[in-house]
Amino acid sequence: MTPRPLRLNVNGTAEEIPDVPGPERLLDTLRWRLKLKGTKEGCRTGDCGACTVLVDGRSCLSCLTLAHEVDGSTVTTIEVGAEEVLVARVRAAFDTAGALQCGYCTPGFVMAVAGLLGERGTAAPREELLEGLGGNLCRCTGYAAIVRAVDLLRTEVP
Amino acid sequence: MTAAARPDAGVKLAGTAVFGTDLDVPGMLWAAFVPAPIAHGRIRSLDLRAARALPGVTVLGPDDLGRFFGPAERDQERSLFALGEVIYRNQPLAVVAAPSALEARAAVDAVKVEIDPLPIIADLETVFPDWPGSDADASPQVAAHVHARHGNVDDEFRGADRVVSETYRTASVHQVALEPHACVAEIRGDVWYVRTSTQSPFGVREDTASLLGIPESSIVVDGTWVGGGFGGKGSSFLEPYALILARATGRPVRFALGYREEFRLGRTTLPAVVRMETAVKDGRIRARRVRLLLDVGTSLPGRDFATGYSIGFLLGPYRTESFEVEGYAVRTNKPPFGPHRAPFAPQCAFVVESHLDHVAREMNLDGEEFRASHLWREGESTLLGQTIGPFGIAAAFERARATARAWRAEAAPGHGVGVGCGFWSTSTGAGGEVRLRLGPQRLVVLEGEREIGSGSVLAGLAAVASRVTGLPRDRVVIEYGNTAVAPYDSGVYGSRTLGALGRAIEEAAVALRRTVAERLGARGQAELSVERGEIYAEAGERRAALTLLLTPEEHDAGGLVADGRHYAPSRLIDDSRVLSGTFYPYTDFTGAAHVAEVVVDPETGAVRVVRYAAFHDAGTVVDAGAAQAQVEGGVAMGLGAALTEEAIWSDDGRLVNAGLLDYRIPTLGEIPPISVEFIEGFAGAGPFGAKGLGEPPIVPVPATVAIATRAACGAHVTELPLSAERVARALKLL
Ligand code: FES
Ligand code: FES
Repeated sequence: MTPRPLRLNVNGTAEEIPDVPGPERLLDTLRWRLKLKGTKEGCRTGDCGACTVLVDGRSCLSCLTLAHEVDGSTVTTIEVGAEEVLVARVRAAFDTAGALQCGYCTPGFVMAVAGLLGERGTAAPREELLEGLGGNLCRCTGYAAIVRAVDLLRTEVP
Repeated sequence: MTAAARPDAGVKLAGTAVFGTDLDVPGMLWAAFVPAPIAHGRIRSLDLRAARALPGVTVLGPDDLGRFFGPAERDQERSLFALGEVIYRNQPLAVVAAPSALEARAAVDAVKVEIDPLPIIADLETVFPDWPGSDADASPQVAAHVHARHGNVDDEFRGADRVVSETYRTASVHQVALEPHACVAEIRGDVWYVRTSTQSPFGVREDTASLLGIPESSIVVDGTWVGGGFGGKGSSFLEPYALILARATGRPVRFALGYREEFRLGRTTLPAVVRMETAVKDGRIRARRVRLLLDVGTSLPGRDFATGYSIGFLLGPYRTESFEVEGYAVRTNKPPFGPHRAPFAPQCAFVVESHLDHVAREMNLDGEEFRASHLWREGESTLLGQTIGPFGIAAAFERARATARAWRAEAAPGHGVGVGCGFWSTSTGAGGEVRLRLGPQRLVVLEGEREIGSGSVLAGLAAVASRVTGLPRDRVVIEYGNTAVAPYDSGVYGSRTLGALGRAIEEAAVALRRTVAERLGARGQAELSVERGEIYAEAGERRAALTLLLTPEEHDAGGLVADGRHYAPSRLIDDSRVLSGTFYPYTDFTGAAHVAEVVVDPETGAVRVVRYAAFHDAGTVVDAGAAQAQVEGGVAMGLGAALTEEAIWSDDGRLVNAGLLDYRIPTLGEIPPISVEFIEGFAGAGPFGAKGLGEPPIVPVPATVAIATRAACGAHVTELPLSAERVARALKLL
């Protein structure tokens, strides 16, 4: 496939990227073309969740997604500012709960939690939310503090 | 409890923390290994010409080493490339650099290699189908042999009421730090400069210097944020390759492993076989014989510390009149053995606990009572004659038993509750140094370790600095330096950061406070405090803003400077008990006892852990939030080793499950609620009596799960991990 231009709205900025090869993964476009290194590369095979971003509000493994598949979409990454209210709330909950150690899984987890809450709402059953995080691996925390962060977000339901 | 917010949460939650994989230097090239396609063979030809002909590609192989090497080590195992012979699968044959990852891959594919296969030793049990005989030391497959004895072992065994003998097998487990190894190297004038994700910048410098035969002073290693270490990032790995490529190309070179390579090339815990024999008389352990075969892959003879060190954890924490222990490090065609969070200790605890529980059952004794009554106490001596320091394992065990009793009383049918314990020697390893700089508004701790996630640097050392100076935590700044500017430190390993650098900070703080007192015309140590953002000092009758006490030079340098250093005092074992090889003393005796409640699927044998409690002697707890987080994470990692984690090596020396789909670490839904409690009052060698806590939490986990599993369904599983298949086999379901 010949390289062709790609249009994305990333964290509120319209990006026109020339010459993106057909097989390029969204993960690589974000990290190496747009220099948004906050999105982490772990396994590149869809097994760890470190590369999770939001595409049109839904959580997406950017290592398994071709950039051109999401041409024209809105992509949200961990670098997004506080104007993205849900992500900001998830960040605050992770901070309060101490839900990170090395921090390598953290961007993926934050985006996965934000995607999940966006989709199912903060009033969704706890089990359902936790099950939705089964694809995100963390080797450091034993997930305990991450679960506490999710609980903080749940109890915020008005 | 809610943990305090971590000081590094801000950058990590904003996505601005730069990890090794994120390093990006304009004009950099991408590197890749040319891996050996088989595990053992003689290299007939290595043709790099086609790869070298590709545009923008540089390839370095064994013949190029002379361009970089001085009189360096060039033996098989330490060489950067296979030298004439391949000794493990995927061993680097050559290394390439290209303008992109894709082009690097194409260059790797263009290399032509012909290798004449040689017989492979894939499984340590094929080397010695029976126990090694007296001629074993001469075998090229033996990398180390350790042997120790005390008392009249044979007599005790002859006179025993009962002798129980068992064989255990433990699997190879991988660290699985989420961030693969990654670095970027550049040559800056005369300086070989590398930024890397490492547990030990100074270790990388030392290793790289010896591998490349260049002086340490010409290498500068700078750390990045580290996406998990767990032992896997303790010494140099990719850095020397990236550096020689940078040197050859004149360009910065990025070298990062893909996750499959991370598994295939990672240096980690390999399989082992342990034979346990215990002689019991009148309900007491009279003698033990312990024999260990440890797979060390292609570790070089004499370079293997694992056998002599790890075997120490098969000898305790239980009293025995007499014992004999013998271990062999067995070489196979796998990558060399490497450290993994408390290397091999979880496996040792699994063997010791399961075996003694089994011994008690055979004698119709209560397993917990039997173990509790033999536990080491402070002031007693280890089997190797070392005096046992403050050690809270018996107290932890009692707390665990009480919890187990309560859980048993309310456990549903089919559930089992078990108690397991384990110990580890913390605060180990070479020393460390720090520099403190006390300025008008803040105290800077300059040191050479990066925070790898455990919190030992940013939470632990900051807490120590705050406590010993009296300044609030928000006035303490940890400043990392590269190896050219930071005081020397050997790295984050051996649960040593708090013990070594914490004590160094204590020493430097005393010096600072003395100097400040002198400037106030008083003796002793000045008291420091903060008022309206300014640091004040008080000593004798006088009090002054610190800014008034500094010389102009000190103002320019950012403050008053003092250095501290701490090298752990050496401990002794009784050498008369050692017959062969090297055994090591313990530093801090750090123990824990855990409780698990499990339920076993009666049809599949799958074990599910329902709840978990951990009781830890960590000496004085310096930062409660970080301490709890260490235990939660360590327990989760241990649950993986207990139940699912197993690196499977095929007969042709291939790692079969080199990926996160097949090598299964615990996911969020598989971790039970974990409660954590600290048993205080057993002071360690660290500041205020702290003990290290990075490694101990993983140690008792497989043991605890195994004992709970037996309690739940009767399955006595003598192999790790306790996969559904192994439990089903023990239950004769298969
Ligand atoms: S990097 Fe995408 S799931 Fe692991
Ligand atoms: S914090 Fe290290 S992997 Fe999650």
